[in-house]
Amino acid sequence: MIEFAQLSYRYPDQPQVCLDQVSLALPAGSFTLVIGPSGSGKSTLLRCLNGLVPHFSGGEVAGSVRVAAYDPIALGPRVMSRHVGMVFQSPEAQFVLERVEDEIAFALEHAAVPREQLRIRVEEVLDLLDLAPLRDRLLTTLSGGERQRVAIAATLALQPMVLVLDEPTSQLDPQSADDVLQALVRLNHDLGLTIVLAEHRSERVLPIVDLVVALDRAGRVVSGPPREILANSPLCPPLVTVARAAGWQPLPLSIKEARPFATRQGLAQQDAIAVGKTGEAGRASETGSPRPPRPYLEIRGLEAGYGTTPVLRNLDLTIAAGEITLLMGRNGIGKSTLLKCMIGLVRPRRGEIRIAGRSIAGRDIAAISRELACLPQEPESMLFADTVADELRTTLRNHRLPVNEALIDELLAQLGLSERRERYPRDLSIGERQRVALGAISITRPGGLLLDEPTRGLDYEAKAMLGGLLRQWSREGTAIIVVSHDVEFVAEIADRVLILGQGGLIADGTPWNVLGNSPLFAPQIARIFPGRGWLTASDALQGLQDK
Amino acid sequence: MTPRSLLLVHPVTWTIWLGTTLLTVSLTRNPLYLLLLLFGLTLVAETERPTGRATPLDPIFFAVIAVSFGALFNAATIRYGDTVLVALPTSWWLIGGPITLEAIVFGMINGLVLSALVAGFGAFGTAMPISALISLVPRAFYPLAVVMSVAVTYVPLTIRLAGQVREAQQLRGHQVRVWRDGLPLLLPLLIGGLERALQLAEAMAARGFAADPPSNQVRMMLVGGLAALFAGLLLQFAWGQVVAASVTLLIGTALILWALRESGQQAPRTRYRVYRRGIRDMMVLLGAGLTLVAVLAPWPGRASLAYTPYPTLQLPIFEPLLAFALMGLLMPVAVRLGDRYLP
Repeated sequence: MIEFAQLSYRYPDQPQVCLDQVSLALPAGSFTLVIGPSGSGKSTLLRCLNGLVPHFSGGEVAGSVRVAAYDPIALGPRVMSRHVGMVFQSPEAQFVLERVEDEIAFALEHAAVPREQLRIRVEEVLDLLDLAPLRDRLLTTLSGGERQRVAIAATLALQPMVLVLDEPTSQLDPQSADDVLQALVRLNHDLGLTIVLAEHRSERVLPIVDLVVALDRAGRVVSGPPREILANSPLCPPLVTVARAAGWQPLPLSIKEARPFATRQGLAQQDAIAVGKTGEAGRASETGSPRPPRPYLEIRGLEAGYGTTPVLRNLDLTIAAGEITLLMGRNGIGKSTLLKCMIGLVRPRRGEIRIAGRSIAGRDIAAISRELACLPQEPESMLFADTVADELRTTLRNHRLPVNEALIDELLAQLGLSERRERYPRDLSIGERQRVALGAISITRPGGLLLDEPTRGLDYEAKAMLGGLLRQWSREGTAIIVVSHDVEFVAEIADRVLILGQGGLIADGTPWNVLGNSPLFAPQIARIFPGRGWLTASDALQGLQDK
Repeated sequence: MTPRSLLLVHPVTWTIWLGTTLLTVSLTRNPLYLLLLLFGLTLVAETERPTGRATPLDPIFFAVIAVSFGALFNAATIRYGDTVLVALPTSWWLIGGPITLEAIVFGMINGLVLSALVAGFGAFGTAMPISALISLVPRAFYPLAVVMSVAVTYVPLTIRLAGQVREAQQLRGHQVRVWRDGLPLLLPLLIGGLERALQLAEAMAARGFAADPPSNQVRMMLVGGLAALFAGLLLQFAWGQVVAASVTLLIGTALILWALRESGQQAPRTRYRVYRRGIRDMMVLLGAGLTLVAVLAPWPGRASLAYTPYPTLQLPIFEPLLAFALMGLLMPVAVRLGDRYLP
């Protein structure tokens, strides 16, 4: 169905090739996962399938691509849109109209599909993706997952042979991401649709794919069955890391496949005495000392909401200096509202918030953010200066603080951005841009940090770097609060986990206590080794070694 | 069988309703009727507003701002009227001189007219889905219509992005003190907007949307038509050849229209929704027709549409029959509320 033969591609004005002599073949009806670090060319590879590369991007191409009998490089996206459908990362950046049904029909109208057939096709895709109840809804009123399913439906309406998806779940919460992936599995199994999907968080996708294509930073590609590729890939989920280290064969890709190995080694269940011994106790010793008792942020009797709708009710919370607290909960439950209350962007109806012993009531946002800095969900909204160093200088000038170049150098070194100091921030990778924004808010050396969904769109390497940085700052005494849906990241870095339910906190405890037995939030390792107090790959590896 | 539409009346009916509304508001200077129209049009917008869509601009709130601004502006700049409220020293630049009640009322009426026009457009925009607006555009202008629809879809996105940028900059201590402080708000908004536009362009290209390249015949006709228009203008204004100019302009216009028609036929499109006219359209058209007759037909009550506070302020005349006729513009509300009882 899809064949790349010695395909090389270089973007305009770039000295290095993005794809280097890529040769691979994907059979019809297969479900393929494309993995690789940020900037390795995953999106470029996908865009070769419908001719967006080179027709939209320009650049130099050598070699060939074939999709069925078609040559996307010669035919271009206009013709290939009939054969290859493409869904992008951000659902709202691909919509033209405002209602679900109209959006699905738009491409068909443009392709002059006869009316009778048009009607049938719209009904079919509405049913295929469970969108019929939402057909009259405004797109702005849908959740992220629903919007992404509308984008897939709009693409499928043209009845392509191949569906290509570029990180379609990277901006979604776990439930919405699962909805989208289940829809893809149905399309692949029931319709035999060939699917090619690029995704950073492979743990969700590996159990359902037939093939994996792995790219490296030099633009080289290897492809094959998931077990074969993951046996040597550095980009693998915790489950595979542990399975490789333990020598489990054949390599398990899902919790279901991994459990028998754990049972055989007598590690599947453990009595309560051992709980937390290796995992959390281990991490406590890593951080050096027990949790510092000094409270940095105190919230008492907080009530907040929008209009007449209450979001938070009678919420009490204390965050200690040097503590990393993860805040979880489903979409729309009030996590971002709580963060906005803490930094003064939303005024509470009742209650008090104190930072370092001082109430924030009556203080302006600039003053609060010097003590409790906040990284918003879209760090790009912050960046506008010509260089990375200028972004940090701007914050110092905003706060009327002296521009201390030594301090800027030190922070850039901590952030791993010293070599990017004079680069234009928006030219950097997603992970690097996020670290620039983190530098821009933390250059004032605040005692507390709030981060709203900081792992969105980050690959494993970028996430590990962010986790390391947060650990370092917490050791230096910074109180850190992170809002995240990424349970694996939470399991890696959290000292404490809070779960926000309707109106207030419904769980507050150590990561193991809150996540360990949760059917919704438990990370992969906790599911494979229930009852042992292990949450991360390193917990499990340490535990296996001890055994 | 056609897809169920949320639009209860035909897009053309809505367009006629809008035309009648704009004409009526433009002909009215009586503040009592203007207030009536403002509240009526706000009601139409509110009953047509789909669930989940926020009001982009509250017409009443806009009216408060526009009426206040109109009053202040007129008070400061117009010196006409008998009822002097206060006299500022004439040496004061621009605002010096008597401030009259009549000037203030005149300014308020201007604000009311503007607010009623905005409310009319608001009601039309709320009622008409973008797809229905596109369906009104002739096929030759389809790409232009899609560009317009993208622009309309982008408005709420841009407003949201502006909010994000403002909050993000506040979080790093940004405060607007002088005009230059606006750059940190403007630049990310502009760059973010461009990035989103590129993403959308790429997504649309992937879905097969690209302007059809015109054929050589169409190109020739367009070039010929534009050349004829240019020659016609030269003949008219440079050489004063009225007859030759008229003929040339006519030929130019015909060539351009023909080129557009040909271009439209070369790019076939189908329509998902086909809107049909029915009793609801009849009701809305009758309501609009009643209003139109009342404001255009020569009858005694029509005189009360006009009003001027100068030279001495007097109460405006209120003609109940005319007020009733103006309420014909509220027929979409009756159609929406009574939809379940209509065939």
